[in-house]
Amino acid sequence: MSDAIKNVEEKNGVIIISTTGYFNNLAGDAVLEVFNEKMESGSTKFLIDMNDSKVVNSIGVSILIEIIEKLQVVNGVMAFTNLAGIVEKTFNIMGITKYCEVYDSVDSALEKIS
Amino acid sequence: MVPPISSKKSIEDLENQLLKKNKVLNEKYLELETLLDLTNTINSLDDLEKLFFNVLTLSSSIIDSSKGVVLIKNDVSNIFDITSSFNIEEEKIKKQIFNTRSGFLNKLNKDKKSYIVGRKDDFNHELFDSKKALINPILNNNKLVGAIILFDKETRDGIKNFEKNDLKLLEAISIQTSIAYQNIKLLESLKKSNKLNENIMSSITTGIVEINLFGEIEFVNKEALRLLNKNEIDVIGNHYFIIFEKNNLLIDLIQKVEFEQKRIFESEFNLKSKSKKTSVNLSCSPVFDEGKSFSGIVIAMDDLSKINKVKSTFKKYVSKNIVDKLLENENSLNLGGEESEITILFSDIRGFTSMSEKLSPTQIVNLLNKYFQSMIDVVFKFNGTLDKIVGDELMVLYGVPLKNENDTENAVNTAIEMFKSLDKFNSKIVKDGFEPFKIGIGINKGKAVSGNIGSEQQMNYTVIGDTINLGARLCSHAKSGEILISKSVKSVLTNDYKFKEISPIEVKGKSKPIDVWIYQHK
Repeated sequence: MSDAIKNVEEKNGVIIISTTGYFNNLAGDAVLEVFNEKMESGSTKFLIDMNDSKVVNSIGVSILIEIIEKLQVVNGVMAFTNLAGIVEKTFNIMGITKYCEVYDSVDSALEKIS
Repeated sequence: MVPPISSKKSIEDLENQLLKKNKVLNEKYLELETLLDLTNTINSLDDLEKLFFNVLTLSSSIIDSSKGVVLIKNDVSNIFDITSSFNIEEEKIKKQIFNTRSGFLNKLNKDKKSYIVGRKDDFNHELFDSKKALINPILNNNKLVGAIILFDKETRDGIKNFEKNDLKLLEAISIQTSIAYQNIKLLESLKKSNKLNENIMSSITTGIVEINLFGEIEFVNKEALRLLNKNEIDVIGNHYFIIFEKNNLLIDLIQKVEFEQKRIFESEFNLKSKSKKTSVNLSCSPVFDEGKSFSGIVIAMDDLSKINKVKSTFKKYVSKNIVDKLLENENSLNLGGEESEITILFSDIRGFTSMSEKLSPTQIVNLLNKYFQSMIDVVFKFNGTLDKIVGDELMVLYGVPLKNENDTENAVNTAIEMFKSLDKFNSKIVKDGFEPFKIGIGINKGKAVSGNIGSEQQMNYTVIGDTINLGARLCSHAKSGEILISKSVKSVLTNDYKFKEISPIEVKGKSKPIDVWIYQHK
């Protein structure tokens, strides 16, 4: 597993991917790899916990958009939690938040999407 | 109606073009927002490390660089230290010395412009484990004080070189960073000056009180609190009317300064506090701001109680002139024990024992007190230091504790004037029916050890040595109306004072007779 992925776990049918560090090309690709693997196994609900990723760049964001597009095809769900202010602002401007929800905590996210 | 296929395709193309344009616009919007965030963030920071970390993360994020580093010049060594890094292994680079003698910092120092590192540029990509770099100067008064370096612009297809737009964006960030850096440096320097000021203010022995335009106490140092017998918490922010309520005269002075905007000095001012009065030298000065407008008052107070104590103690032994000189220049005072050249004068009353037998003890004390007072006035007139009075004998020093050029002349002048003063004294006491006093004086000059001599219980400033013994012997040889001086005294006199050489005299403790000169009062 890449250094950018801190943890991957499944709870109530939701795959929680916790990232760490700069959410850039490398981190985005690492998340994409986990996503592809889990999607092949039938998972369609994903929660990205970005508590330890306080900085993102546009390449990281474009990979996230790629993942969201793939999920839309299968009517899947993508959500984010623990976003730093600047990250949430970037997601808003880049339009990600139009297609997925942002939650304050893992528990509140699981309550809604599981 | 369904549009024809060709029209459908043009609509799809148009949609794609719009989406692309929208994406570009969103990216520009993000750039602007990030720049705005960065400006707000860096202007609110007062810590350089935080500033540079924020600059690195936000600029990396906005420019899509994979990592970055900030180097800042060490004021002492002129080496550029790694002050912040982002997504980079510092272990690899922290032992590398960066300076302006060579490499990218040399170019940056010369051009003071941002640049994208090209193939021909001298840059060690291996060191940073990078392929591409974008370098920006941090300037302070147009001098290079640091650099922001971003590495490897990321794309979905891998690393590509930075573009002109990235350069422009980082330049804008760099300008903001330079301003924030200058502000933080100014703030640090201001904090340092304030700290220094506080240290000075708390250590000086002058009490300082600063009053603002509204009459509120804005600053007070430790000494002023001691003199006012108050706590800082009770003073700061309060109006001077309240703080100086027991000192109406001081309130009047402050009001006078407020009105006239001129400095006032009051010596030996009685400052009243809760439980005591302290004598202070007080100065009350107006303060003006840069626009030369009146902005408050500073009061400075020097406690005179300690000085007065020294003065009153010393004045018993030395003249006011010497006390003032000693207080002006503490270094001139040596009380620790030192061998130096001194002149010593002894005088005593001839036939005092037989005279005292005819008088009552009260009469003796009264007469002696008046006699000594008139003699000591002469001693002080010529800057002598009264060492001691033993019975009817006076011992006076010249040259210690303060040296004067004409110490010996002063001793001789003292002796001559003592006789004149004695004449006046005698004429008064004769009228009262007492016998006139008769005195003899001896003066010697030479090396002697001076200092505080005695035990812990009692210690006196005095002199010891052979010079002193010979002075005392000369005095005991002098008859009434005579001044006897040694050769060492005679040799430095510029005036002959009508001294005549007489036959050498034998004194106790000297194997050979001593050359002596005599002055006889009329």
